[in-house]
Amino acid sequence: MLKMSHLAKVYRTEVVETYALRDFNINVKEGEFVAVTGPSGSGKTTFLTIAGLLETFTGGEYHLDGVEVSKLDDNARSRIRNEKIGFIFQAFNLIPDLNVFDNVEVPLRYRGMKAAERKQRIMDALERVGLASRAKHYPAELSGGQQQRVAIARALAGSPRLLLADEPTGNLDTQMARGVMELLEEIHREGATIVMVTHDPELAARAQRNVHVIDGQVVDLAEDPRFHAASHLADTAS
Amino acid sequence: MQIKPILAALRRHKAGTILIALQIALTLAIVCNALFIIQERVSRLSRTTGMDESNVIAIANRYVGPATVFGPTIKTDLAAIRNMAGVEDAYATNSYPLRNGGWSMGVRLIPDAKKEITSTTLYFVDDHALRTLGVKLIEGRNFNAGEVIMLDPRKSTALPQVIITKALAQKLFADGKSLGKTIYLSQEGKPSTVIGVVEKLQVPWVGTWAGSFDQHAVLLPATLDANYQNFLVRARPGQQEAVLKALPKLLIDTNRMRVIPEEGGVRSFEDVRRRAYETDRGMAILMGIVCAVLLAITAAGIVGLSSFWVGQRRKQIGVRRALGATKGDILSYFMTENFLIALGGVIVGSALAYGMNQWLLEQFEMQRLSLVYVITGVVALLLLGQAAVLAPALRASRVSPVEATRSV
Repeated sequence: MLKMSHLAKVYRTEVVETYALRDFNINVKEGEFVAVTGPSGSGKTTFLTIAGLLETFTGGEYHLDGVEVSKLDDNARSRIRNEKIGFIFQAFNLIPDLNVFDNVEVPLRYRGMKAAERKQRIMDALERVGLASRAKHYPAELSGGQQQRVAIARALAGSPRLLLADEPTGNLDTQMARGVMELLEEIHREGATIVMVTHDPELAARAQRNVHVIDGQVVDLAEDPRFHAASHLADTAS
Repeated sequence: MQIKPILAALRRHKAGTILIALQIALTLAIVCNALFIIQERVSRLSRTTGMDESNVIAIANRYVGPATVFGPTIKTDLAAIRNMAGVEDAYATNSYPLRNGGWSMGVRLIPDAKKEITSTTLYFVDDHALRTLGVKLIEGRNFNAGEVIMLDPRKSTALPQVIITKALAQKLFADGKSLGKTIYLSQEGKPSTVIGVVEKLQVPWVGTWAGSFDQHAVLLPATLDANYQNFLVRARPGQQEAVLKALPKLLIDTNRMRVIPEEGGVRSFEDVRRRAYETDRGMAILMGIVCAVLLAITAAGIVGLSSFWVGQRRKQIGVRRALGATKGDILSYFMTENFLIALGGVIVGSALAYGMNQWLLEQFEMQRLSLVYVITGVVALLLLGQAAVLAPALRASRVSPVEATRSV
């Protein structure tokens, strides 16, 4: 479903080159629930933006659902984002001027879907996240957990092949976070492929597989001396 | 189309939306009326007098001194002018087209009718007038020298023979046939018989008030026995400059007891026309400037608000891009948003334009605003709106989808 080989992302200024990702390799199979973890600045969000075609990369290869994406133009990338990817952001990213129904409708409109089908999909998605009764509410009238559920409904409404979640519970309290996480697990059980970036080990543990990113590279924790140093310190502290 | 969500979003930004729509509405109302005024003035400017204006010179002359009878003096002056080298013909008169001062009078077909049929101007002329003015006689005959009298301006102005313009003939007589018929220029009941009809001759006034009778002129065969006379002179082709220069000296040499204003005393007819329409031309230019400034301010307002909204909604644009909007979708979002605001503005503006015209109509005798101006104004403002929003909308379309993942 998602395969990156020797991928690199370099930010260049006049004086310095910074590698956000370097020789980055990952392979996510259809139906998998993968958690990508790592410390701040490790490159996990950069990975997610590239995986979601929000950003281009500098080198290597990226196949999404069998398509090599580096050659695609901006419109084709928009189309893939719209049809194949569902995004769940840490800050929910609902449009404050639109009510819940209109927010969920946004990606469907860009797909040029007919009104009747849009309405059906929106109501189905809202039912699924338990917010059908809040369709006419504005984001500001909802709790954080409810807003994230609306964002999940928005991501689900288009029946994407891949769900990308960036710290989906980062802005939520424990109880709300648990609810959102249960919802993601349920969606996964129904067959969705989910890649979730998080720095919360408890959340990561609930995924099928964990991928660790340090300094822009996927590492095997068992063999990485940096992890041992960090866990040794953690042990000492506890 | 995304009209419904755009309208929903605009409802949440009422202040900015209403302000820009109102600005567009006011601009439309003012621009429509200003363009209408410009058109009115320009069409007034381009009216013809019915004269062959080239080579005509106008002289404003006032006799001074103890004399109370001016007939012989006028005759001497006219003889001197007509004998001058380069002069084709000349005559003395109370007024002429575009002079912006003259006599007007009501015309009746029944002597004791309470209400006149129309108004007309009176030109006191002699048998040389038609040739000097270059006016075309289309029916009847010109005056002959024997018919021209010296007339005391304090006495009746009704004379037995008159020449009238075609426009006046058509106004007075249903079939337009006026030759040999009788008209009444005063309430004393003295008849005047139409002996000739000229194709066209404009009144002296260019203002709106004379608009209803601006081609109604009656030519009377008389020279007013008064100290104030206008001499109209036709120079031979190519001689106008020389005649213009030589005339003041000739008149002073003929009779020193006169005043010819240094400024505008002796002037070509081009100069007469230019001065007559100075206000109209000035008004047209002023209105043009008002239109340009207003349109520029409105465009700047749209650019300003759109730029502000694009800046404010960067994150939202990034989210839309992340959810699958193409650059074209973002561009069209902002263009459509502006179109909807402008549409609201022009609908209100059209009503305002008619309201403003109604007020001008009552206050300044303007004409009713034609629908063409409103339609032109509406199209122009919608296009202006689209042009003004283009740069901010393009900037919005270039916002990267990665903006969605950035915090604030």
